[in-house]
Amino acid sequence: MEVLAQLLINGLSVGAVYALFALGYTLVFSVLGVINFAHGALFTLGAYLTYLLLGGAVGSNGALAGLQLPLALPLWAALPLAGLGTAAASLVVEAVAFRPLRRRGAEPLLYLITSLGAGVILVNLIQLLMGAEAYALPGQLLGALPAVLALGDGLQIRTVQLLLLLVAALVMLLLSLWLNRSRAGKALQAVAEDATTARLLGINSGAMVQLAFALAGFLAGLAGGLVALSVSIAGPYFGISYGLKGLGVLVLGGLGSVPGAVLGGLIVGIAEACVPGNLSGYKDAVAFAFLFVVLLLRPQGLLGRRLVEKV
Amino acid sequence: MTTAALLELDQVSRRFGGLQALDGVSLEVQQGEILGLIGPNGAGKTTLFNVITGLTAPSSGSVRWRGKAIEGQRPDLLCRLGLARTFQNLRLFRQLSCLDNLQVAMGRNDRRGALELLALVQLQGRAEAAAGSLAYGDQRRLEIARALATGPQLLLLDEPAAGLNPVEKQALRELVQLLRDQFQLTVLIIEHHVPLMMQLCDRLAVLNFGRRIALGSPEQVRRDPLVIEAYLGKGAP
Amino acid sequence: MLDVSLLVQMLLGALLALAVYLPLRAGQLSLATPGFYAIGGTVAALLSTRAPALAGDGELYPLSSVLLELLLALLLAGALALVIGGPVLRLQGIYLAIATIALVEILRVLLLNSSWFGGAVGIFAIPQPFDGPEGYLGAYGLLLALVCWGCHWLEQQPLGRAMAAIRDDELAARCMGVDTDRVKLLAFLFSALVAAAAGVLAAHYFNSWNARQASFDASITSLAFVVLGGSRTWLGPVLGGLLLTALPELLRPVGDLRLIVFGLVILLGPVLIPQGLIPRGLINPKRP
Repeated sequence: MEVLAQLLINGLSVGAVYALFALGYTLVFSVLGVINFAHGALFTLGAYLTYLLLGGAVGSNGALAGLQLPLALPLWAALPLAGLGTAAASLVVEAVAFRPLRRRGAEPLLYLITSLGAGVILVNLIQLLMGAEAYALPGQLLGALPAVLALGDGLQIRTVQLLLLLVAALVMLLLSLWLNRSRAGKALQAVAEDATTARLLGINSGAMVQLAFALAGFLAGLAGGLVALSVSIAGPYFGISYGLKGLGVLVLGGLGSVPGAVLGGLIVGIAEACVPGNLSGYKDAVAFAFLFVVLLLRPQGLLGRRLVEKV
Repeated sequence: MTTAALLELDQVSRRFGGLQALDGVSLEVQQGEILGLIGPNGAGKTTLFNVITGLTAPSSGSVRWRGKAIEGQRPDLLCRLGLARTFQNLRLFRQLSCLDNLQVAMGRNDRRGALELLALVQLQGRAEAAAGSLAYGDQRRLEIARALATGPQLLLLDEPAAGLNPVEKQALRELVQLLRDQFQLTVLIIEHHVPLMMQLCDRLAVLNFGRRIALGSPEQVRRDPLVIEAYLGKGAP
Repeated sequence: MLDVSLLVQMLLGALLALAVYLPLRAGQLSLATPGFYAIGGTVAALLSTRAPALAGDGELYPLSSVLLELLLALLLAGALALVIGGPVLRLQGIYLAIATIALVEILRVLLLNSSWFGGAVGIFAIPQPFDGPEGYLGAYGLLLALVCWGCHWLEQQPLGRAMAAIRDDELAARCMGVDTDRVKLLAFLFSALVAAAAGVLAAHYFNSWNARQASFDASITSLAFVVLGGSRTWLGPVLGGLLLTALPELLRPVGDLRLIVFGLVILLGPVLIPQGLIPRGLINPKRP
């Protein structure tokens, strides 16, 4: 029983990050019907921004070697700021990789390539500026809090994990409230439902696309910062595997479905936590095995809607 | 003279969620006739075509082709049995040349045969042009030629005159009659343009809210009170 | 600057681009190419290092053994393509792309974790059938010529035409009597065969083989070859594969910036030349 509860705790905290990640994908997918392959790079950017804002110094290999911000922000300020910075970068990605194609009504296939191009540029810019080395976020971020909290019955949770879970849950709650209650959120959903009709109703779909990208960027940046906090930054390419896994999570839950992205993230997180230690090498395949089975049994994903071609 | 019907629909129904798109429709299409299908928008005409050509399985009821049940069969197999259709919203292979559009439907390399069909619809000069680059009326005729290229016995035309000008409509009427008279084709045609249908069809079937409310010669149908009500509303003279 | 080994890699790039192109011509965005490429390479690496009977007596690894590897790799990749193609090809558009990415990732993780396949380090000291890169240039040149000829022939055949029709409108193709499931499966099969054959030669050429050969990056890079070259005729992917493989090498003088320039090319390419370098109609000009 305790083992199970411990697995659940570990799985939930990892799954929450996957969910944040997949939410970003799904926001863009719901308004544009395409996948943004630069999302993993934005996640990476968020991690590095968090590191810099917390007062971390650039290592010796990058073009910015030795650079350090004059002041080190506390975590509660650095995380959202990194999210905002990533949101700005996401808007740039939209402007260069998506907008020209959207204006032309281009084949969806082309977006895969241009967004990947944007991702490649972003990752390599980071490498150029910050070097390829690993970065660990500065220590005492959590102040006086202990590194591990005991929950009784032998259960324990890393404080970082708890923080991650709480922040992710809070953000998802706010996002779904915003989507369903606010005017802008409802407009965004209307564009996702039917862009043409939304335009007739006076909703500016271009602005909604930008809003979706900004939000997705914010979520990616936040997820990047949280993961960096939890496991440190392994190098400029560390977002790629998360990006791929996020894709698995996305399809598992159903493309374009917000609750689906959360559910998919939690399922994959918990499933990965259940992989026994001696098979841990296979952990990375769990999300994809799930994805594969779900796609074959239920192509629209767990919570997605079935699309029927109209003749 | 009682010949077995080429195509028989028996109590065909189709439900989409809460919408009863087809409600117990029965219809026999006789060899060699031009049967028109009319009715208000949303009456279930295209759904009926989709059921016949295998794109939509009926919820209940049966479809028989030369006496054999065919409901729920794959569209490509039905096409090879001799049922070919056009689409309400043109569905040509837009990037392919006119010639290749026809050769896809033929399933073989037959340049000469394809050119003959193009000549039949007055498109011989556009053989190498991409289908998507043709004028709208030309695309409509190319779609008919593409259906003919499959070597059908029954041709299903879904609003072939939509968007055509009066001259083109007249040419279309002549083309359909030619297909029946010279190629011994049977034609099932959906069309909103009632005068055209009155001239062209041997019989008319009228659908409303998924039900067949009338069937008979154009003259009979025109006088049918149910039809008048469906088109003009209750209380019309 | 264009040395022989770069030429070999360019030919390899062109082959992988054709492997992506084949299903794409039938409207199917499959990113499984690196998976079949890895299968080909793994078969070659295992057979040539673990089966002494194949090694021969001479100094060089016998070509007949390479052919045997090729045969086995094609059989394995072909069988796998037929088995997974059935269910996978029912998926549409981006779902198919993601499912094939998942397949490649699963394969990569399996190869990475199995000691039999050399695990993370891979298989080393794969014997050489040629005594220099020129031999590989010839072998790859022959293979590429064969595949190009096959693609060109296919494009004139009913099957190739049916593929193009499915790309334009799958539903209409089905209504016009095209057995779309079969056509899509064949396109997927051809793609798997081309990728596996390229992999067999690559294992020998690179002299070592590991799980990283099956990566998501490779999927997208070969897709970029096709998109930039143009995907309406076989010449587009070939040109895209040749040029884009050469690009990072030719950009070596700009040092650290080369991947950024590569990113710029694939970012701006679809924006500036949406039809690719070789649009439809260029290769088959109007016949008289």
